[in-house]
This record gives sequence, C-alpha cells and structure tokens, in this order.
Amino acid sequence: MIVFLLILHGLCSVALLGAVTHQALSVWWPSRKARGLVTSFRAVHGAKFTNGIILLFLATFILGGVIYPPYRLAVRTYLESARLWTVNGSFELKEQFVAISLGMLPFYWHVWRQPLDEALAGARRATVALLCFAVWFGFLTGHVVNNVRGIF
Amino acid sequence: MLAARLTPIFAAAFAVLYLLAEQLNIALVTYHPRIREWGWLTEAPRNGPSMYWYGWLATAFVGACLVCLISLPYTARRMVPTWIGWGVPLATMLAFVFLLRAFFFR
Repeated sequence: MIVFLLILHGLCSVALLGAVTHQALSVWWPSRKARGLVTSFRAVHGAKFTNGIILLFLATFILGGVIYPPYRLAVRTYLESARLWTVNGSFELKEQFVAISLGMLPFYWHVWRQPLDEALAGARRATVALLCFAVWFGFLTGHVVNNVRGIF
Repeated sequence: MLAARLTPIFAAAFAVLYLLAEQLNIALVTYHPRIREWGWLTEAPRNGPSMYWYGWLATAFVGACLVCLISLPYTARRMVPTWIGWGVPLATMLAFVFLLRAFFFR
C-alpha cells in the first residue's frame, strides 16, 4: 500500500510540476505565438492552471504526509547511520519549503483569481516563482532520496 | 474584500509561526510512528522516533488564523501591503536555508 501511495505521490508531483512550470513560464517568459515546442509551452493562459495547481499541490502534500512515517522509520534512520548529511538536509529543506508554500496557497489563489487584477501582476510573478521553486526542489529531492533508499 | 485583506497576512503569519514552531519545537500534536499513536502537544519520543512536523503545521495554521482574526479591525482601516504575502515566505525559506546549513557543510 505504501509503495502504491508513493507512486501516486510521484505521479501527482509530476502533473503539478508540469502545471506550475507552464504557469511560471507564461508570466516570466511569455510568448504570444505558439510556433514550436518551447513557445507553445510558454504561450498558455497561466490563470487557467491556478485551481488545478492548488488541487494537485494539496493532493501531493496529503499523500506526502501519509507516506512520511515510513520514511521517518526506514529511510531517515538509514540516511543518518550512513552519514548522508546532504541528502538528509535536502529532505529537511523540502519539508520546510512545502510547508511554507502550503500557507501561501490562499494568497496565491487570491492573486491568480480571474479576472486578473493588474495591480497584482508583481505578486502573481513572485508567488508562482516561489511555488515553482518549492515544487521543483521537492520533486528532485524526493527523487534522489528515493534513489538512495526507497520505502519498503 | 476579505480575501485581499486577509490572505497576505495569513501567508506571512503562517510562514513566521511555522519557523518559530519548528525552531522552538512547539507542536500541537506529536505522532509516534513505530507504535502508531498520536499525542497532544510536544511529547518526548515513545519507543522509537517521534514526529513533530504535523504538529508544527497545526500550530502555524491555528496561529495564522488567530493573527488574521486579530488583524481584522486593523485591515478595515488600513491597506495591507501585498508584498508581505510572498516576501515573508521568501525570507522564511532563506532563513531555513541558513538554519539548516550545517547539513551541507560537514
């Protein structure tokens, strides 16, 4: 069951990664014409991703919270005994970054709500950049930790 | 509008309170994963490691709701600066990088 939930957590995070990267690039590096792969990736209506991103973040967060105890018992103890401090510290940072991002979600929802308020353009760029960073960091850290020692 | 007034305060308060809860270990609940038991507030480990992360989240959530409630009359009179909604969380993330630096420089 835990392995199934871990895979589901990973799948949700991949979907979240795609959505939040689409939205971040649509405001930080916008493109009006969708000619090639890269320009098409940037030429999306960022605001349409907002609710999906919130739902995916919550789903990924809850699944992460459910599989956290097996990690604490089996993986973290191994990381400590193997003295893999960088991996352990990266997971600690992930834990804090996603928690802070969770608290930022209502504000993120407010600034990205349609119709978009021009006065909140700067806040939109900042919130999506922070969220995008936290999601990428969390994804890569989780991936590396799982490669070092998976939950079993 | 209520969301415009309260969401930046909630984001900022949640980040600061989470940092304080983590640093001072103020958890509303403690989970003992080996015996699968929950306890109220910050408890010492029982038969294995204890997990405070859920408790820190709960502390930050309840605290941020209280801060929003207390600041409600103030926000009716004065405009809340929008930047605190992302600036404070960003500063808190940087603070965590500093506080956890020992993991990366051993």
